[in-house]
Amino acid sequence: MLLAPLAILLGGWLLVPALVGLAATLTTYSPLSTTFAFVGGQNYSRVIADPQFGVAVRNIVIFTLVAVPLELSLGFLIAYLLRRPIWGRSWWRILLLLPWLVSPIASGVMWHYLLAGATGIANFALGWLGGPEIASPIGDVHLALPATIAVEVWRVTPFVTFLLLPGMTAIPQERWEQAMLAGAPLHRRLLDVAIPDMLPLLLTVGMLLVGLSLGAFDTVLILTGGGPGTATLTPALYSYDRAFVTNDWPIGAASAWLIAAAVGLVGAVYVQLSRRWSSA
Amino acid sequence: MVVRVSGRREAVIRLLLLVAITAAFLLPLAWTALASLGVLPDNSSRPPSWRGRATLDHFSEIVVAEPAFWQELATSTLAALVAACVTVAVSFPAAFALARSRFPGNRTLTQAFLVLASLPAMAYVIPLSDLSRRVHLIDTLAGVTISEAAVTAPLAVFVLHGSLSRLSTEWEEAAVIDGAGLVRILGRVVLPIAFPSVAATLLVMFVLDWNLLLVPLVLTSGEVKTIPVALSDFFTFERELDWPTAAAALMVSLAPLALLVGLFHQALESFALRAPGGPDIG
Repeated sequence: MLLAPLAILLGGWLLVPALVGLAATLTTYSPLSTTFAFVGGQNYSRVIADPQFGVAVRNIVIFTLVAVPLELSLGFLIAYLLRRPIWGRSWWRILLLLPWLVSPIASGVMWHYLLAGATGIANFALGWLGGPEIASPIGDVHLALPATIAVEVWRVTPFVTFLLLPGMTAIPQERWEQAMLAGAPLHRRLLDVAIPDMLPLLLTVGMLLVGLSLGAFDTVLILTGGGPGTATLTPALYSYDRAFVTNDWPIGAASAWLIAAAVGLVGAVYVQLSRRWSSA
Repeated sequence: MVVRVSGRREAVIRLLLLVAITAAFLLPLAWTALASLGVLPDNSSRPPSWRGRATLDHFSEIVVAEPAFWQELATSTLAALVAACVTVAVSFPAAFALARSRFPGNRTLTQAFLVLASLPAMAYVIPLSDLSRRVHLIDTLAGVTISEAAVTAPLAVFVLHGSLSRLSTEWEEAAVIDGAGLVRILGRVVLPIAFPSVAATLLVMFVLDWNLLLVPLVLTSGEVKTIPVALSDFFTFERELDWPTAAAALMVSLAPLALLVGLFHQALESFALRAPGGPDIG
């Protein structure tokens, strides 16, 4: 009975659309056409055979493998710095959360101009050092993806700190002092004291971050639109483009389901890992 | 003694590092704030300098570039506020039920909520927009609000489950003995004890809802626009928007969130993700 309102909300707005959508991907269904036929896995084989989708997958794998560890480790380090009461701690916490409050799309708009030559930060700094003016990295085939990753790390790291800080402050002070008395250097203290205690939490935050990265859309849409060429194309952009721009609905829906399947796989690993680590 | 001395040195290093990191993370925002006031860098001069005098004109230019801006701000606020309340209202009883029942698979179900919370919006918005069109919820504030509430609910359930499952049950048991009904126990006993984490969840859900793009984007053809949808318009349709005006719009859309977080930062400290079965934290 207590679960009923949630079941209605999630069922009606999340699960039913998702399942109806899944069924529709096995057909040629499209909202614009009046007839449709069952085609089995044909939409999926078309998506997988599309070289553009292959590029998108490659990009998102790089994106996730670079962004998530960076966000986790930077967020972890900042949480470590904020662990003990320090002068103005609540101020640091508020200030360090600000980048996360910027919506992904606003962050894209902002960095679009901040990375640009005429109004940018990098050229201002380079100018002082007497360096040459550089063009915006988002226009460069090789630099666009790293720049996009950096923008995402800037926005998400503060959120990671916010999520990790309660776990960090819960570690008893004596544990740190013991390690310090034993003469353990900083990195050993982090590895031996903080990591074991925070493993379940790190795993949970990691799960959220992987999902967030695999669906990277908002910031990329504004910052590069997937370009130049396909340098920053992501599966979510690909699927949005097929469903809503080129009106190839079945392909859009099928590729979106492949994203969901990838997150589902990572989720299964997460459930397994957290079972093992909490019983150990 | 050795520990204390090196501890003090470490505290100084810690403070310096914090200052440097905070400055690095806030520099882009400061740059944007300056631009919204019309103060722009002049990167072609050597050494680079600043040009422009501080003015508030760009804030009034927002309405010229986007006539419906204030209306969109109101839409965003209303949708995010109602959605966050709905999310917490349905997640709280569900999280309570999950936290108090012991059936096999209970834990996996809770973890499934986290996986669901990690699911990118793109995975379900395509059929969602189609179904919403069919039930005539497209282009309505109600449609956008309910959908926003639905997509953020899994995270709320996971977070509230974490805090409720660690509450002592003795007050609830006392209330049961007194013959209190379920609704009364939830409202009068559990809610007051769990209030800090409920308030923190509400605040985080508001931020998440306020910043959602894909869900409102596919559910509107222009009638009901939130701020992120309006921002995306500028670029997908290649409309001309000059940087100071864009910066002013960004500042205005960030201000309510910054204000909320500033006012309620103490409540936010009780927002903790607790892994099911993990050690007690917070």
